[in-house]
Amino acid sequence: MDGMEEEALIFSQSLRTEKDWVTLLCDSSRTGGLGIRALKAPKRARWQLRVGNSVRSAPIFRGETLYVASLSGALHAIDVQSGRTRWKFLAGDQIHSTPSFCGNMVLFGCDDGKVYAVDDNTGTKVWEAAASAEIWASPTVRSAVVYFGSADGWMKAVRVENGTSLWTRQLGGRICSTAYAAEGHIYVGSGDGKVYSLDSSSGDILWEATTLNGIDSSPVIAANTVLIGSEDFFFYAFDANTGTLRWKYETGLGISSSPAVFDDFAAVGSKDGFVYVLEVQTGRLRWKTRVGQAVTAPPVLSENAVCIQAGGTAALDKATGKILWRAGLGASAQSVPVLTGNVIYVASVDGEVYAIE
Amino acid sequence: MDRRGFVKRTCLGSAGLFLGGFGPNIQEGILLPVPPPIQVCGLKHFKPSPLGMPGLFPGRVVQVSDPQSIAGNRVSQEIIRRMLELGMKELTDESTVRAAWLKFIEPTDVVGIKINPSGAPACCSSPELVREIISALQDVRVPAHNIVVYDRYEYEMDIGSYQTLLPPGVRIEGIQEGFHDDSGYDPKVYCEARFFVEWETRSYMASLVAHGLTKIINVPTMKDHSASGVTGCLKNLGYGTFSNVARSHRAPYSFTDPLIGVMCSVEPLRSKAVLHIMDGTRQVWHGGPLTQVKDFIYPAGTLYLGTDPVAIDTIELEAIERKRRERGAPSVWDVDPKNITAKAEEFYHDPAKNLFYRRPGHIASAGKLGLGISDLKHIDHRVLAG
Repeated sequence: MDGMEEEALIFSQSLRTEKDWVTLLCDSSRTGGLGIRALKAPKRARWQLRVGNSVRSAPIFRGETLYVASLSGALHAIDVQSGRTRWKFLAGDQIHSTPSFCGNMVLFGCDDGKVYAVDDNTGTKVWEAAASAEIWASPTVRSAVVYFGSADGWMKAVRVENGTSLWTRQLGGRICSTAYAAEGHIYVGSGDGKVYSLDSSSGDILWEATTLNGIDSSPVIAANTVLIGSEDFFFYAFDANTGTLRWKYETGLGISSSPAVFDDFAAVGSKDGFVYVLEVQTGRLRWKTRVGQAVTAPPVLSENAVCIQAGGTAALDKATGKILWRAGLGASAQSVPVLTGNVIYVASVDGEVYAIE
Repeated sequence: MDRRGFVKRTCLGSAGLFLGGFGPNIQEGILLPVPPPIQVCGLKHFKPSPLGMPGLFPGRVVQVSDPQSIAGNRVSQEIIRRMLELGMKELTDESTVRAAWLKFIEPTDVVGIKINPSGAPACCSSPELVREIISALQDVRVPAHNIVVYDRYEYEMDIGSYQTLLPPGVRIEGIQEGFHDDSGYDPKVYCEARFFVEWETRSYMASLVAHGLTKIINVPTMKDHSASGVTGCLKNLGYGTFSNVARSHRAPYSFTDPLIGVMCSVEPLRSKAVLHIMDGTRQVWHGGPLTQVKDFIYPAGTLYLGTDPVAIDTIELEAIERKRRERGAPSVWDVDPKNITAKAEEFYHDPAKNLFYRRPGHIASAGKLGLGISDLKHIDHRVLAG
């Protein structure tokens, strides 16, 4: 790709609307659309709410409401001032999918093989879109189209207004990876060990790149590079237009964590217990820090820290990797803390939601 | 503690099984508490299968080793496939892999693959091995939706990424969501005993095992265990099928012997577990079952196959004892009070220390219950190079 094409792609990516939610937790900062905020060490719990069953996905936050999906099959809308449930929507089965926002709707996948769109104010269903197997990935949205993959290996695109199908595409393995919706391209990892680039209007496969084991990490795009981890222990950087390998970096065990990007760096966790920060252009290690026995959650970024859940919640200095603080709450190894500035919301594998300030 | 205690089997629902006892437990001058009576209620009206433990080949253990099967903690798909095929043919005396599998599995079966993800990510049932087992099942015409990969805790399976790494269509199920979820268990099939002062004295069988599956392929890992000495076929099967099992060991005492074997003898678990394929690509010789310490995880590059879980676990126990001797660690039979620690960190980093007086006698106890052969002299141990 020449420089003009690269610029065009970067420009087109910047065209996304405010309603777009192009990747897991909205954008490459994994902040759930909240943007990069300051982060202080938490001192005490403001409230604690038991949602009944294990929480394995990340909560999302908007206005004064925290949305938490649990294995009970319920999406909980929690008033963050009181810590009380505003409404609860019961889906057909367990929910492993991290919700996303689209306009006034909350979208999420369910083990009953459906994506649900729920009115964020009333908790009533707006539409549902059916796949044929469990949906663990988070729905992503770009230009009024919702994209998601399912455990039977199908990628699907549906209309945001009513959930009707635009296209489906069979890939080679289970899809737990959340798609990245760029302008004209969808990028996603699969259990067959491949990273796919699909045409976002047709679902046609534009390129595929092979790793040596399955992928449940969700990609991000930075500097025209697809960044993604694989269970083969490597973190990969592929050219976004061609799928050509730019570099790969080996960690000590598999990577199911999804990267977050800041400045010219990508942060990602590995099952070897470390968080790694690598240069996007070269793959050179800037720092790595051990935070737990196994890291499977995505990191989330604040102004000064990379924050991650790994048996608890830890904040690492962005520049050095030094551990700034740890909190014993939030043991869910698949969840992500919500960083609002003064308050941090974390969900736990034992079904507790905490507001710590 | 009732020191005259004995294990009493009262088969309330299933046909009469072994009714036996276990004597006082004095090891090297240490008087360990005697297990309390264990009452068992199996599934009513279940007809035991001739394929049930010890199965078609009592006492036979096929060991297939290839040091190239694991390198840098990565398991080779190709080599594991070859090792599995070789082992299955040797176990069954069949000339083709398909014929070997058909000894155990019919196309109409609903087959559970009981994995052990509890040491994930450092040591768990390799997804590569599980993929090969799934492939073999599909080759004998078991449809993907009738293959269920399962364990007790789904969140542990998630850390192993089985939900991504296994083929589409195969069901992947955790029996319970969290520590206190008992909705996946059948309240009519249980083992009952009061070991300490626990308020819930019953452990219930998973409904999936009791009612959902017709056959089980057990895929344990090869590890030492702080309470039971080793965790192999028997513990993976028994403690992965019943609820509320952690109550059987409270530091420093353990009643895993005889509870593990008793649980494995309960119908229909006993009949449905027709094949055991132990993943010994990694061998944890200290810190099990959860250790992530690389120094204690040896890349043994081995599979053990058989229908007799007692015989396989006996061979496993010997192998772990051998490795511990090589590394200067005390035997898993050690009951020296000086080596018992209450500090988990000390246990996790010092192979001389342990949290419990371990009870590896559960293997022999399972033998007494008729689940297999624990006498090394009577085990047909076949060693193959992969």
